[in-house]
Amino acid sequence: MVGSTFPPGSAIEGTFGLGTQLDMLWLVPALPLLGAVINLFAGRRLGKAAGWLGTLLVAASFVVAALAVQSLLGHPGQERLFVQHLFDWISVGSFSVGADLRLDAVSATMILVVTGVGSLIHLYSIGYMAEDPRFARFFAYLNLFVFFMLMLVLGANYLVLYLGWEGVGLCSYLLIGFWFDKTVNANAAKKAFITTRIGDTAMLIGLAFIVWRFGTLDFESVFGAAGATLTQGAATAIALLLFGGAVGKSAQVPLHVWLPDAMAGPTPVSALIHAATMVTAGVYLVVRSAPIFELSDIALPVVLVIGLVTTLYAGTAALGQTDIKRVLAYSTISQLGYMFMAVGMRAYAAAMFMLVAHAFYKALLFLGSGSVIHGMHEEQDMRRMGGLLRRMPVTGSTFIVGAVALAGVPPLAGFFAKDQILELANHTGRPAVWILGTIGALLSAMYIGRLVFLTFFGRPRSEAAERAHESAPLMTMPLLLLAVGAALAGALNLTPEGSLAHFLEPVVGEVPHGEGLAAWALSTIGGVIALVGLALTWLVYASGRVDQTALEARVDPLPRTLLNGWYVDSAYEKGLVAPAKAGAHLLASVVDAKGVDGLVNAVGGGVRWLAGAGRLLQTGFVRSYALAFFVGAIAVLAWVGVRL
Amino acid sequence: MALDNVVFWVFAPISIASAIGMLVMRNAVHAALFLIVNFFCLAVMYLLLDAPFLFAVQIIVYAGAIMVLFLFVIMLLGVDRGEDLRDPLLAQRPLAIVLAAAFVIEIAVAVRAGIGFATKAPEGFDLVNADGNTKALAEVLFRDYFLPFEATSILLIIAAIAAMVLAQRKAPSVTQAELERRGLIESIDAGVTEVPE
Amino acid sequence: MRTPIAYFVVLSAILFSLGTLGVLLRKNALLIFMSIELQLNAVNLSLVAFSRMHNELDGQVLAFFSMVVAAAEVVVGLAIIVAVYRRRQTIDVDQARELRW
Repeated sequence: MVGSTFPPGSAIEGTFGLGTQLDMLWLVPALPLLGAVINLFAGRRLGKAAGWLGTLLVAASFVVAALAVQSLLGHPGQERLFVQHLFDWISVGSFSVGADLRLDAVSATMILVVTGVGSLIHLYSIGYMAEDPRFARFFAYLNLFVFFMLMLVLGANYLVLYLGWEGVGLCSYLLIGFWFDKTVNANAAKKAFITTRIGDTAMLIGLAFIVWRFGTLDFESVFGAAGATLTQGAATAIALLLFGGAVGKSAQVPLHVWLPDAMAGPTPVSALIHAATMVTAGVYLVVRSAPIFELSDIALPVVLVIGLVTTLYAGTAALGQTDIKRVLAYSTISQLGYMFMAVGMRAYAAAMFMLVAHAFYKALLFLGSGSVIHGMHEEQDMRRMGGLLRRMPVTGSTFIVGAVALAGVPPLAGFFAKDQILELANHTGRPAVWILGTIGALLSAMYIGRLVFLTFFGRPRSEAAERAHESAPLMTMPLLLLAVGAALAGALNLTPEGSLAHFLEPVVGEVPHGEGLAAWALSTIGGVIALVGLALTWLVYASGRVDQTALEARVDPLPRTLLNGWYVDSAYEKGLVAPAKAGAHLLASVVDAKGVDGLVNAVGGGVRWLAGAGRLLQTGFVRSYALAFFVGAIAVLAWVGVRL
Repeated sequence: MALDNVVFWVFAPISIASAIGMLVMRNAVHAALFLIVNFFCLAVMYLLLDAPFLFAVQIIVYAGAIMVLFLFVIMLLGVDRGEDLRDPLLAQRPLAIVLAAAFVIEIAVAVRAGIGFATKAPEGFDLVNADGNTKALAEVLFRDYFLPFEATSILLIIAAIAAMVLAQRKAPSVTQAELERRGLIESIDAGVTEVPE
Repeated sequence: MRTPIAYFVVLSAILFSLGTLGVLLRKNALLIFMSIELQLNAVNLSLVAFSRMHNELDGQVLAFFSMVVAAAEVVVGLAIIVAVYRRRQTIDVDQARELRW
């Protein structure tokens, strides 16, 4: 049974403070928060130092996290759980929630990824955002984001997790719309926030459900009592509601529409938030809540199906994009689909491994694309690129490493991750999932190959491409480091029962087993598929033997459909947004302007009318006033007379 | 037939008639004269009620002083000419008449519920008036109601002064600024020199 | 005395209401003032009647005071009317209606 494998009382004892390495856990989120606060209030005076401050604080957070994890590893597997109580947050009646941090294998993995990749992206941003007038503000937001993400993964109860959840949503909004003077960016930020809000609401309802059923939000308490407390229906409801939040945050179908538009933000933002960390929060949530999901018969299959659909949908859409960042955005959606497929098959360790590998190579790809865009003087259309490998060697070669990793070519990380997932599909009796997943792998090889060949190979197709230049070392250094990570991360988990899976086992349980095709056969198929995809795209886009325009004309209207993401966005626009806007307009111009204002004005008008009638009493004649006296006197007399 | 009743039933209608007369007369002097008749009738009523002092005071003060004062002013202001009896306020006349009638009916009902229409005056008033009404009245007045008496006297003085102040015509006064303008003083601050006749 | 006291009270009520009619219906300030005097007299009559009924002199004393105060009031009131006449050349109360809507 997942998640409750910690016997009660086996957690490591610790206090809040700076005593041991584990006691310093609170520093991990606190340092970025400090950076955010300093940069918000004093950032402008710091100038360039603001960037270095932010970077160093996140790097320091990484060091502290590493020390804490090292300390954790010093304990035997059954005892690797550390809960740190910061303060009592809510205490109402019998319901209490503490601001608690929890370090176990899952959250340890997450914090290392977040702070590690995060610090490299911060370093990169110093160079990338060097000329931006709101330089310090950018780093403040980035640090704030890292803080919230760490709170999300370190939370020991659903409320701290939700705090982080909402916080990263806020920072995503702030950062997507960082250049808010252009309406496009502001709209993208709004779209992101509103779309994820739908998921967040479902999640909140799920949390309320949990409180109702369990009376607490603490992970240990909830997961320990889950089996005894929840019926099938309740477990399904809670699981699906929480998954709703994951669908929003991790941009799965049908709430995926915000992520391609979110590319309006600066590239480091896309790298950090929309590739490596925030979008993986949904995966983390489901992995964390696995005990609840497993109690329901249909929750995990739903996750699997949505993951699969998303993988294929986004893979095809990525193939039709012309903007370099949008290809990567759809790619992210597709890769997240893979992770959810793994989760749906109860292979949580495989999903986590893919998460780690994806963080490396996707961040690398995004940062590389940022370097390309910088070098192309803000041009993002791939059709105008070409031949950049010669002009931007470091960027190009590291980019290719990342691309190969994504495509799933052995022996890079992406291969091992996808391989495990497809092997599980095959071994656990899901042939359809295996076949479709393999098609998805082919698609990912194809779209990334297309991107690489269009961008870096061939002849330059515009002036900007001809005059492109390599980026500063401040930007290329992180690229190199990430390339190393992307290449070597596979070593973490060479088999489904590799070291990472073993590390995660106390929390997520064992990896499912099964029978099917031999492992080496499946791996070979996977590797071959990746190479075939790359070869196909080389043929079409780089070898010069195929006329692209003729090819695109022959399969018309496919290119336009793929470019528009199978028209999901316009469907939403027509079906949901336009009626909502019309409804709002109706409310504003009719109900509010005429109804409510009319009512208020009518009250005013009524008072005026009353006053107009009432003033006629003031005739000015003394005699009529005297008559009024007399009337009153008679009335009083009559009343007294009647009483007597 | 008791003399009281006869006197009452003669003078009560006269008082009512004279009151109505005062109401309807267009000429103010005529109205005042009717009021004087009414006061005389009331004086007789006081006599009927064993209040001879008040009978005398009524005639002397009300009919003799107050009404004379009224006539003075009427003739002084020359407003004895007739006044227009049309009423610009349309509802005033009917409403007033109705309400006046309602008032009388209310009082009648109250009286009937209270003392009843048959109660005659009790017998013992001769003892009260034993040494004469004036003496008895004086005793009550200067013993029990001495403070109101003194207050009333002050009131009369105040009224007299008020009348003098209200009725006086202001003499046109020469201001200092006017004097300065006429060159009779060098400046306001210096003080007045000779004021010519 | 054989006349019931109630008759005096009713007479007083009739005179009072006639005085009120005068106040309400006439436009000449002096006539209004005279109607007020009529009202006061009606009340005096009522006071004296009740005094007789209770075999006390308090009512007569009160009527006496009422007369004194009425005299003072007439003095001041007429002075005011004269002052108003000097200002406006009229004592028609209907002319004084600036304080209207």
